[in-house]
Amino acid sequence: MAKKVLIVDDDVNTVKFLSVALQENGYEPIGAYDGVEGIEKIKSENPDLLILDIMMPKKSGFVLYKQIRKDERFKDLKVIMLTGVAETLEDLDTQSEDTLERPYDSLREKLRETIKTMQEDELVRPEMFIDKPIEPEEVVAKVTELIGN
Amino acid sequence: MLKRIPIFWKLSFVFIIISLLVLLVDALLGVREDPVSKWSLQTFFTIAIAIILSCGAAWFFVYFFIKQPVRKLANSMNKLAENEFDSQLNEDERNEFNTLASSFNNMASMLASSQAELRKNKDFLEGILESTADIIITVSPEGKILTINKGAETALGYQRQDVIGKPIEMLFVDPHDREVALQKMGPTDNVMNYETQFRTKNGDVRDVLNTISRLRDPTGKVIGTIGISKDITAEKHLQDQLLHSQRYAAIGQVFTGIQHSMKNMLNACKGGAYMVRLGLSKDDQQMLKEGWDIVQEGITCLTDMSMHMLKYVKEWKPKFEQVKLSKIFSEIDNVIKQTAKDKGVQFRQDLSSELPPVLCDARMIHSAVMDIVSNALDACVLKEFLDGETPEIVLSAYLDHDGQKAVIEIEDNGCGMPKEVKKNIFTPFFSTKTRTGTGLGLSITSRMIEAHNGEIEVDSKPNCGTVFRITLPINKTKINEEKIDGEKSSHS
Repeated sequence: MAKKVLIVDDDVNTVKFLSVALQENGYEPIGAYDGVEGIEKIKSENPDLLILDIMMPKKSGFVLYKQIRKDERFKDLKVIMLTGVAETLEDLDTQSEDTLERPYDSLREKLRETIKTMQEDELVRPEMFIDKPIEPEEVVAKVTELIGN
Repeated sequence: MLKRIPIFWKLSFVFIIISLLVLLVDALLGVREDPVSKWSLQTFFTIAIAIILSCGAAWFFVYFFIKQPVRKLANSMNKLAENEFDSQLNEDERNEFNTLASSFNNMASMLASSQAELRKNKDFLEGILESTADIIITVSPEGKILTINKGAETALGYQRQDVIGKPIEMLFVDPHDREVALQKMGPTDNVMNYETQFRTKNGDVRDVLNTISRLRDPTGKVIGTIGISKDITAEKHLQDQLLHSQRYAAIGQVFTGIQHSMKNMLNACKGGAYMVRLGLSKDDQQMLKEGWDIVQEGITCLTDMSMHMLKYVKEWKPKFEQVKLSKIFSEIDNVIKQTAKDKGVQFRQDLSSELPPVLCDARMIHSAVMDIVSNALDACVLKEFLDGETPEIVLSAYLDHDGQKAVIEIEDNGCGMPKEVKKNIFTPFFSTKTRTGTGLGLSITSRMIEAHNGEIEVDSKPNCGTVFRITLPINKTKINEEKIDGEKSSHS
C-alpha cells in the first residue's frame, strides 16, 4: 500500500507539482491549503509524512506543528518544513549577534520565539527543512530518505 | 611768562613802580617843602600801602579758601576720570566747599559702586564667553577679526594675537562661505545654523554649525558681526557612519524583500518546469499544459514584480482633473462585485451625496482604492468566520468636517493584522502573502496618495478587521493649484 504524504501549503501550484512528483514515485499525495484544513486532513487521513509550509492563512505552519506534536497520536509524525529556517539557524550559530545584519532582526526574533516555544513545550524538532524554491525531485528524495518507499 | 605771575604780585609791582615814580617827581620838583604836596604824598602812600595790604589779604583768602579747595576738587575729579574711585575730599571745613565736597564724595562713592557693578557684570559676561566651548568671534564691518574667545582658540588652535586684525575668511575652508552666509542674513540681522567648515591652524578641517548676527550701536549703525559656531565634526562623523550603515541595512532589506518575493515565483517556475519535463517524457499533454500554466504564472508574477519595482521608483505626477468619486466607485464595483461574491464576501458602497467632485488623478485613485479593496478581500478570505457572521467590505466616502477634504474609507471585518504587520505595511517588499505578494502594492498606493498631497492611515485589530482611510484635499489647497499650474504650463 502506498505511503500517504500530506502537503499543507496555501500555494496551489506547490501542492500540485509536489503531488505529481510524489505520485510519480509511488506515494499517495494529499493536499491541504491552509492550517485548519491541514489539521483536519492529518486527523482524517493519518499520513506517514507531512510537508508543511510556514506562512499560511488561518493557522500558520508553526502553530499546526505545535498542535500535532502535542497530540499523542501524531507526535512521531515525520515532518518536512518548507522554510529557510535551517540555513538561518546555521547563520545564527556562526555569526555573533553584533555582526548580524539588520534585515535579520525581525526574523531572528521570530525564530528565537519559535525555538523557545519548541524548547518550553519539549517539542521534537522537524526532521527536515527545505527552503523554496524547491526541486520536486529533491523533495521526493528526502521523503524516501525519511519514510522509505 | 607774565600770565604765570599771580594777580596780587602784578598789582603790588604796579604800585611799587608808581611809588618810585612819585618819589622821583618829589625829588626833582622839591614838593616836600610844600605842606599841601606833603599831605598829598603821605595820603597817596597810605592808600597805596592799604591797597597792597588789601590785595595781599584778598590773595591769601582766595588762595587758601577758594583756589586750594578748587584745586583739590579738580585733582579728585581727574582721579575719578582715571577710575580712582577711592579719592575722597576732606569735609572738616565748615564752609560752602564742605557741602560741595560732601556732594562730590557721595557722587564718587556712587560712581565707585556702579563701576564695581559694571565690572562684575562685564566679568560675568566675559566669563560666559570665555568658558563656553563654542567658537565665538566678533568681526569688524570691514571683515577683520576683532575678538575671539578661548573656545575658538582651543577648537582652531590659534592664539588671539595670531588672528586679531586678520580677515575672517582665513578661518573658512571655502572663503566664499561667509559671504554666502551674510547674503542669507537678509533684513533679520541673523543667519541661524549655517553649516560650514573651518580650517584649524594645523590644517585640519572642522565641521561647524554657524550662527551669525549683525552688531549695531544704539543709533542703529552696523559695528560688526558676531559669529557663534558649534564644532559638530564628531556628530557629523557619527551621522555619516549611521547613514552609511542605514544605507547598507536598507539595501539589505530591499534585497531580502526581493529574494523573498522571487523565491515563491521561482518555486512556481521550477515546479512547473518539472511537470513540463514529465509531461514531455510521458507524452502526457494534460500534464504538459498544467506544468506550462504554472511556469507562465511564475513568469507573470516575476514580470509584475519587475513592473511594480519600476512603478515604485518612478516619480509620481498626478494628472489633476475634477473627478466624481461615484464614477471611480462604480468602476470598482463592476470589477470587484463578482470576485467578492465568488469568495462569499459582501461588498457594499456608501457615498455621501454632499461630496463635491475632487481634484485628483482618477486613474491613480482608482488604482489605490482597488489595491486596498483587494487586500480587504484577502483579509476576509483568510479569516475563519463564526456561524452567523458575514464577511463584508464597505467602501465609503464623505466630506471631512472642515469641508476641505474628501475621506475615502475601506473597511473590512476580515482577519485584521497584528501591530508589527501594521507598522510595516507601507514598507517596500514587506509582504505577508505567499504567492502573489510583491510587497510593493501598498507602498505604491501610499506614494500615489502622497503625490495628491493626501494622507493614508490604517486602523486594524487582529481577527476584528481593518479600516484604511484616504484623505484627499478637494481642490482649494495651494499646493494643488500650483501642481495644476505646473501641469498646464508643461502642456502648453
